[in-house]
Amino acid sequence: METNEILNDLTAILREVVKNPALTITLETKASDVDGWDSLTNMLLINQIEKKFEVRFNFREIAHLANVGDMCRSIQVKTNK
Amino acid sequence: MKSDYFSGDVLADIISAMKEFENRNAFVINDTPYTYRYFSNLVNDFVHALQKEPANIIGIITEDRIEVYAAILAVLLTGKTYVILHPAFPNDRNLTIIKEAGIELILGNKAFIATTSWCKGIKCMNFIGRLSGNWTPIDCPADSRNPAYIIFTSGSTGKPKGVPISRSNLNVFYKAYSGLGWSLDCNDRMLQMFELTFDVSVVSLLYPLTLGACIYTVGYKDVKYIKVFDILDRYELTFAAVPPSLLQLVSPYFDEISLPSLKYLVVTAEASPVELLTKFHSCAPQATFFNLYGPTEGTIYCTSYHIPMQGTIKQHNGMIAIGKPFQDMESKIIGDDGFPVGCNRQGELWISGPQVMNGYWHDKKKTDAAIIKEADGKIFYKTGDICYYDSDGDLIYCGRKDSQVKIQGFRVELSEIEHVARQYFASKCNTVALVTTIEGNQELMLAIEQEFNDITGLKNHLKEKLPSYMIPKQIFCIPCFPLNTNNKTDRKAIAQMIENKIKDNGNK
Repeated sequence: METNEILNDLTAILREVVKNPALTITLETKASDVDGWDSLTNMLLINQIEKKFEVRFNFREIAHLANVGDMCRSIQVKTNK
Repeated sequence: MKSDYFSGDVLADIISAMKEFENRNAFVINDTPYTYRYFSNLVNDFVHALQKEPANIIGIITEDRIEVYAAILAVLLTGKTYVILHPAFPNDRNLTIIKEAGIELILGNKAFIATTSWCKGIKCMNFIGRLSGNWTPIDCPADSRNPAYIIFTSGSTGKPKGVPISRSNLNVFYKAYSGLGWSLDCNDRMLQMFELTFDVSVVSLLYPLTLGACIYTVGYKDVKYIKVFDILDRYELTFAAVPPSLLQLVSPYFDEISLPSLKYLVVTAEASPVELLTKFHSCAPQATFFNLYGPTEGTIYCTSYHIPMQGTIKQHNGMIAIGKPFQDMESKIIGDDGFPVGCNRQGELWISGPQVMNGYWHDKKKTDAAIIKEADGKIFYKTGDICYYDSDGDLIYCGRKDSQVKIQGFRVELSEIEHVARQYFASKCNTVALVTTIEGNQELMLAIEQEFNDITGLKNHLKEKLPSYMIPKQIFCIPCFPLNTNNKTDRKAIAQMIENKIKDNGNK
């Protein structure tokens, strides 16, 4: 999958999870940049990503996802396997 | 283990540790280490600045940075009172706290102050970049009649209540807490993950500093459960105090977590499920587990229970016991008739002793409602928690007073419904039972923290185990329970979500 394609999907998921339909994100966006992106929404976000892309993250991988770019790269690697 | 220079005065012991361990790390914040020398220098700088200020009640705008922790200690060392202001709180709440506490000076980050409406009209001091660079020893603090800090807790009327904790309350707590038998010293690495608006942060900050240990912090903007476990793992922390709801969030990943360096795990802030702790034990097999309990009004913690990982864990409806009162603290269980009840009989827990506050800040009405002064002058704080004493003298926690409800005339413990529902999921998910009022009728509802289709199966399980009046009217699936700023499961928010869902369904 292309990075932009994943980013679009992630944007849609994150908008839904943080209840902000106008949210825009970039590859550099971190949890602290987005209102409402906390422990709870992160858990929901990971659940939604796992469902949408049919991938599975272990805890160490989740801990190393520092920003949206990391998420995109990780999804790319997992879906290309 | 108490430090060699343990004096019983928390601030004097911190000053001793600052001198003895000046080249060791006091903090690691966002992977940046700060030595005791650096921290001490910063504190010293703030102390000199604060001493020139007539203000006694000092607001500190919380952030996860060394200046905030230095500001807290500096306020304490100057005999003044600190009150935490939280950037994530609504403006109205911060304005109310500023007004109610009588804050006359705010310490914070200049950039934030400049853009924040509730800072306007009050003298503010920027705490960034103040460092003078000359390290000079700090003197021991003078006695002060000012409270050490005021914590604002939610009031039932929506207006926050100020809980003033005196230096004397704090030192009595410090002596009792130090005497719990910790084997901790300057080599330990200890977690501070609580919001500074929550009083467990006070012990998570001050106690390690008395030992010369290093504190690893988690900020309010961090994704907490990830940051906590990342820090515990990478820095091989030896001590952590966490709310059980944080462990619950990580529970799907327990089989991947290994924390062999963890010596102590304290669970606190809310009732701890036995199954959760039992399962977590394999993640930290060397750790000793404690359940520490206490209302803010009784200074952080006032009872402790060493959770035995071999043998039987004392519990009620799956919630771990809270154990025995701290040294110098007294407790009794009061029945519905207002008189003490005997062993194994439930009632409201009242606590007394030198850790208990004198009263809410400038609020006689609320003080009179919560504090009982007995004929001998002894003061008791009514905790609102339902407990009983077992035959060993351990306090067994049964739930909040307001979680005992009457349905169809029957007294119902919501925790019992939650416990039975958790059993259906083999304790793998959280449950919250609550009462909502629908068209004037009180109805029991159950929220399950996962997506789930077999509601009939769950209802059948509940019907097998509970009398009919305890069967929830409706069951709702909420993928992740909301947490409040103290990281406790937010029961009010869950109730609101359920009421909204009922309204939405009614409108369809």
